[in-house]
Amino acid sequence: MFDRDVIVVGGGPAGIAAAIEAARAGLSVDILEQRPSLGGAIYRQPIEGVAPIRQSRAALNRYAELMSALTAFVVGLRHMSVFLGMDGDGLVLFEDRGAGTVKSLRARAVVIAVGAVETVHPRPGWQLPGVSTAGGLQVMMKETGRPPQRRVLLAGSGPLLVAVAAQMIRLGNPPVAIVEAGDPFGSIRDGLGLLRFPGLLADALSYLLTVVASRTPWQRGTTLMSIERTRSGLEATLKDRNGTMRTMTADRIGLHDGIRANDFGLHPAAIDMPCGPIVIHAGDCREALGAVAAAADGARAGRQVARLLTAASSSTDEIERQLVRERKAQALLAQLFSPVNPPAPLSSLPRDTILCRCEGRTAGDLHSLIGPSDVLSGREVKHNGRFAMGACQGRFCATHVAALMNELRPGHPPVHAKDLIGQRWPLRPTSIAGLTHVASDDIENDQFRKVDANL
Amino acid sequence: MSAALAGIELYRKLARDGLFADVYQTRSSFIVAASDAECALLETHATALTSVGVGIERLAGERLRQRYPVLSPNARLAIEVQDEGHAIGYKIVHRLLTAAGVIVERASTVDRLLVDHDGYVRGVATEKGVVLADAVIIAAGNGSARLLGLDGVLRPRKGQLLVTERAPALNAAMPGAIMSGRYLLSKGSQAGDLATRSRGFGLVIDPLGTGQFLIGGTREDSDAGQSNDLAAVSRILADAVSLVPGLAGVRLLRAFAGVRTAVADGLPLVGALPGLRNAYLATGFEGDGICLGPVAGRAIAQLACAKHPAFDITAFDPGRFAGIGVAA
Repeated sequence: MFDRDVIVVGGGPAGIAAAIEAARAGLSVDILEQRPSLGGAIYRQPIEGVAPIRQSRAALNRYAELMSALTAFVVGLRHMSVFLGMDGDGLVLFEDRGAGTVKSLRARAVVIAVGAVETVHPRPGWQLPGVSTAGGLQVMMKETGRPPQRRVLLAGSGPLLVAVAAQMIRLGNPPVAIVEAGDPFGSIRDGLGLLRFPGLLADALSYLLTVVASRTPWQRGTTLMSIERTRSGLEATLKDRNGTMRTMTADRIGLHDGIRANDFGLHPAAIDMPCGPIVIHAGDCREALGAVAAAADGARAGRQVARLLTAASSSTDEIERQLVRERKAQALLAQLFSPVNPPAPLSSLPRDTILCRCEGRTAGDLHSLIGPSDVLSGREVKHNGRFAMGACQGRFCATHVAALMNELRPGHPPVHAKDLIGQRWPLRPTSIAGLTHVASDDIENDQFRKVDANL
Repeated sequence: MSAALAGIELYRKLARDGLFADVYQTRSSFIVAASDAECALLETHATALTSVGVGIERLAGERLRQRYPVLSPNARLAIEVQDEGHAIGYKIVHRLLTAAGVIVERASTVDRLLVDHDGYVRGVATEKGVVLADAVIIAAGNGSARLLGLDGVLRPRKGQLLVTERAPALNAAMPGAIMSGRYLLSKGSQAGDLATRSRGFGLVIDPLGTGQFLIGGTREDSDAGQSNDLAAVSRILADAVSLVPGLAGVRLLRAFAGVRTAVADGLPLVGALPGLRNAYLATGFEGDGICLGPVAGRAIAQLACAKHPAFDITAFDPGRFAGIGVAA
């Protein structure tokens, strides 16, 4: 009846920790991982033949501990397996990129641990080629061991910008500048608060010292307002804390405005299902608290599954305390990096600003749909405005479209991103050829491997 | 059939008048047969279409390959049905609402009709309060059953549909929607064996204006309107690829599902509600609502305004079901 007791979706710290705890309770577990190796975005492993980039000792240790714990158990690893969602019958669907087919598995419980999504605020020009997320640049460095080439500008807000800059510097191509909307040096008191979180502080100092030593400009209290393509490259218009505007030119721009939980299109958590599997969300996709908390939250999810499916009674109290602590640390970081000047409302964006990058839909398209009298629902805006209908299924635009709708129709019940996206599979565009050759996965003949110690 | 023709005629008029100018398109659709059984059924269907004045062309062999080059070699016979209409439902709804200047009270569930003892309907009670009106028109799909106590008359009939990514070259090579001859089998089953057939498949591949394809679908006796299952999606896509092999190289963008409202005898319910002086019903189109919605809506509006409906709705009279009335 069941192919596995537990399917864990995502092989980052949360997924690995969940698999360990479920396997410890004697449950059969498979991990679905879209990449060729485990690690997730945070512990992304280099592609074959590439030396790993320098990571902090603490981060290396954390990953080594997770992997060594995992090797103690029999856990099925399905690499190159892209999660497509769960169908109406409760089947877990994934595209096996190796085999080129879609496969399905039936499990008693599913732990969804697909990681956070990076927030990027819409700005004129953010859709131009050469503009990406800073997190995307970081993952690329981890995989290829090479920094993004030519003049790179990092802009937005948050500690990740400094981390990406430091990694670029160590790989030999310092960014032309880091543009930071907040001013983490602005409040001594908040800064001293970091002393309570020595791990966080050590990472931050290490990155910061690298940036300072390379004399990379870290322009705090400054916002990247817009990007234009000119003959000399991508011209960014920057506004400092006093409102003074100036431009800076680069060949690539990495944007980053924080990370957030990810529930885009995912099956909601379900503990008490009359039919269909138990579904638990774990790690940054449930609450974006960073790598340490993700592993803890994964362990919590694994133990919860064990309690629900077996007679196990392992406690999660200590994990709860750890999560409270990590939540405080993240709140402090958010406070340190809060923008000096409040961000402009989305309704002030120029009308030709792209909101939906897949279908090229603009802020003006949305303005024209929100009439003065009849107030369309999220779903109607989706259909008639073609927002959240493209290949990314609304991951990029739905949050912004919902936020702008709420600005434009005050007094009406708020619209949420999920009103536009819904909950459906496939989560990503999927080969029709693969879907026509689908069959329930044959466990016996499948190339499924026990974790081996060489990983 | 005559209702469908009246529906298309209204679309054409509204397109000429400008209201639907950019949201209604005339083009052919193609019904394709791949087996002896389908060929026989298709010949019968072609005769029926001709007899009511629909322009068709019978395509086979080299002529079929020329007219529809991306069709699988398995296709043996096709009937090109000319001058068919094409419109996207949500666009039509949005256009009509905007043109009428109607304010929709969204997220307002109607609990019941407010009926005086002489059969006059004063309005409706909603969760947000009472709304008074001179006439009440119920067009609530499957929800109409609860308001009217239509036990056993309406049945939810789920459909699963698929949308692909853009594939402009393949899309441009398709002169219209194609339908598997098997769709006729599936659709024909709706009236008689509602109780016995739990899930039917019929294939329609519709090249959309965006360069995408809409591929359908199922007819299922189910009200699980939100969910798509792998078995159905895989089956629909396999059927689609066997008719248009080029689709194998395209990606599926999304799957979605909805619930049609089916009537026990297979005909819609359009007309005055028996026993009530000023209440009307329009539902039960079971997937033909895009075609019939505007013409039925106009007829109901005419009835409500004490005019003679411009379209004969006697066959759709809700009074044909005994016991239709208002739940206490």
